[in-house]
Amino acid sequence: MAFTPRGGGGSGFRGGGSGGGNFRGRGGGRGRGRGNGVSKFGSRGASSGGRGGRGGGPKRSGMKGGSKVVIEPHRHAGVFVARGKEDALCTRNMVPGESVYGEKRVSVEVENPNDPLVKEKIEYRVWNPFRSKLAAAILGGVDNIHIKPGCKVLYLGAASGTTVSHVSDIIGPDGIVYAVEFSQRSGRDLLNLAKRRTNIVPIIEDARYPARYRMLVGMVDVIFADVAQPDQARIVAINAHQFLKTGGHFVISIKANCVDSTVEPALVFAREVEKLKQENLRPIEQITLEPYERDHAVIVGVYRPTKKKSKTSHYEKEGST
Amino acid sequence: MPKSLFILYESAAGFSLFFVEGFESIASNTEEFQEALSEFVRFSKLVKLVAFSPFITAEAAFENLSKLSEYEITSNLSNFLNSHLPKVKEGKKPKYELGVFDHKLAAVIHEQLKLPATSSEKVTEIIRNIRLHFERFVDHLRTSDVIKAQLGLAHAYSRSKVKFNVNRADTMIVQSITLLDQLDKDINTFAMRVKEWYSWHFPELVKIVSDNIVYARCVQLIGDKSTLSEESLTSLEKIVGDEQVSKNILDAARTSMGTGIEEIDLINIRSFAARVVKLAEYRKHLHDYLIRRMNTIAPNLSALLGEQVSARLIAHAGSLTNLAKYPASTVQILGAEKALFRALKTKGKTPKYGLLFHSSFIGKAKQKNKGRISRYLANKCSIASRIDCFSDVTSDIFGRTLREQVEERLKFYETGSCSQKNVDVMRKAMDELDTIVKKTHEDEERVDEKVEKDDRMEEENAQHGTHEHKKDKSKKKDKEKKKKHKRKKDKVESDDELSKERKHHKKKKIDKKSKEKNQQNKMQI
Repeated sequence: MAFTPRGGGGSGFRGGGSGGGNFRGRGGGRGRGRGNGVSKFGSRGASSGGRGGRGGGPKRSGMKGGSKVVIEPHRHAGVFVARGKEDALCTRNMVPGESVYGEKRVSVEVENPNDPLVKEKIEYRVWNPFRSKLAAAILGGVDNIHIKPGCKVLYLGAASGTTVSHVSDIIGPDGIVYAVEFSQRSGRDLLNLAKRRTNIVPIIEDARYPARYRMLVGMVDVIFADVAQPDQARIVAINAHQFLKTGGHFVISIKANCVDSTVEPALVFAREVEKLKQENLRPIEQITLEPYERDHAVIVGVYRPTKKKSKTSHYEKEGST
Repeated sequence: MPKSLFILYESAAGFSLFFVEGFESIASNTEEFQEALSEFVRFSKLVKLVAFSPFITAEAAFENLSKLSEYEITSNLSNFLNSHLPKVKEGKKPKYELGVFDHKLAAVIHEQLKLPATSSEKVTEIIRNIRLHFERFVDHLRTSDVIKAQLGLAHAYSRSKVKFNVNRADTMIVQSITLLDQLDKDINTFAMRVKEWYSWHFPELVKIVSDNIVYARCVQLIGDKSTLSEESLTSLEKIVGDEQVSKNILDAARTSMGTGIEEIDLINIRSFAARVVKLAEYRKHLHDYLIRRMNTIAPNLSALLGEQVSARLIAHAGSLTNLAKYPASTVQILGAEKALFRALKTKGKTPKYGLLFHSSFIGKAKQKNKGRISRYLANKCSIASRIDCFSDVTSDIFGRTLREQVEERLKFYETGSCSQKNVDVMRKAMDELDTIVKKTHEDEERVDEKVEKDDRMEEENAQHGTHEHKKDKSKKKDKEKKKKHKRKKDKVESDDELSKERKHHKKKKIDKKSKEKNQQNKMQI
């Protein structure tokens, strides 16, 4: 089952992030103020105010130990769902005790498989779909993000590293993410982030010229691109030609306004898909990022696809389970 | 017979050379072949490692990377290539080719090392697969080592990129103009608050003193209105600058209908008023600073538009270089993006001006000429910004000339009077500039040695940093510039043509310039 936004009218999601984050009105009939919901994440020991007005929420066995939040693995490996009063997408924090961009953290105690008496603390970071297009795509129900533990990712348009930090959480210490960002201002933040997380390789360089950073990047399994440039498809293609494994995947977020603001978004997406196809980047699926972003689409696809039928159906199978 | 093919592969760990035994580019698209490439055992039969020379230290790796990214050949690379590639007898054509990833680098290798370097799709395709299998070609090299090398090198490279900012001086302008705008807003709201607060005690003062800052000063001086007497008239007069006004204040204070006020409240109001006055003073300082900075960084643009508007243009574009790269049509509507995109979507009328609206020219023009003068002004702005960005000489001659031209244009719209020919105006400006250049050249030769010594100090001393740079630049550039000006003289007839051509030349120059700057910075590091 895909994890879909819950809640009455609006999205079931709250901006966990900085200052306020009142993105959308809450659904009616929830009965509680905002403060209560927030405190739940922080102080697990505090007396419970009940689980809000949400009757019939999935009560799992993990509720013991006085914890109000239950973490469930998401369909995508490395991604988790925190089921509390509000559901939240999250990733396991690689650097416990630290927030990257002021996001909420949730920690739960888990029994150690080797020694049932000792409890282990695991910390998760809440992933805000309003700030990260990848999170929005996951909540939008994308079949497969292809970013999973241990894989190598080339991330174009890393900005300050908001999403990169979550990607780094997902892939874990065995994976590696090459984060390319051109802006020096954002690059500064990215460098600081990479100091704490050793699986991020920060590259402050123009993604249009992969030759300039050819020595810094190895072959990757996935390219994620969020560059918002008119020639985005070309940028992805030239990077794929150099660094993406045969049969590797790409995930591109396209902002219609940045490519062409005068025509319909749907037409822009269609044109981009056409451009990708010409570069041997075959799209598998496309979703829009409503309600998190306006006129955005995420396209997932495969590079130099092998023609065997079994392989494509394999993807579909993976997606549907 | 086809030539044999060597491949140069640069990794974070070091340089390596591969020999390609059999690689058919025609077959490279078939699936079977692709599959074969992805298996190391089969790929290693096609491509053999000839040599691998690791970077000894992290510094060496960083030096090689940064030089190669600017297409410079390091001694490491030339030694490596010369010692491992087969020797070519003099006067004979080599029997092999050297495949290089980057075609520009290939050209440089070909030129400087006289090696038959090429780059093609086939080469990229092979390098792709070498990258995939690289760790397994080299003995004792583990994947984790390569990743460690990449990580270290990437940090060093990115740090140097962040550390060295080409648009350093522009950043100061951008920050100070945004702060200035913010201060204007804040001072206004604070002053309103002072008025609101003090008016409970002395409501008549608002009517008499309308200026915000003068009002705040008055509040500071008067305090309790009942203490106001003839003695304080002189000091009050100093603030308001008019005898009659100060007398009015005194009269109003005696007959005021405001409430009484406690000492403790008064202290607070006074200290707040003092803050506002201080803030206003600070704003003035900042404004002076901005004007000084603008006159050194963008003298022509400031002369044409005024410091504040031109600073806003720079801030909006991000840097002076960005602004110089914009076409005049973009400059014209800079700051009116929302209106522009709305117009594009609805197929309505596009805006006539953006930030340029704040220049005095547009206010002077009649309604029907506003669009025309805006377009004309935008053309001149883009010329001025390009001169500022790429000129080696700091002078506002062109800015002043362009300003005169715009003024003449305004006159032309109003009265129909003929304006001077562009050719003549520009020639005059050029002559004026030449005399200045000659003068500075003479001066420069005298202090040349000194300047070189002090260069480092000045560089850090960001005040004049960029300009010393500009002056120090080789005379070659000067010549180039003069050539361009000649061209300009010939072609000034049409503004559009001129700007197009300039853009073309400038683009080439930008690359060169940034390279030079980079070099200089690296030397310092």
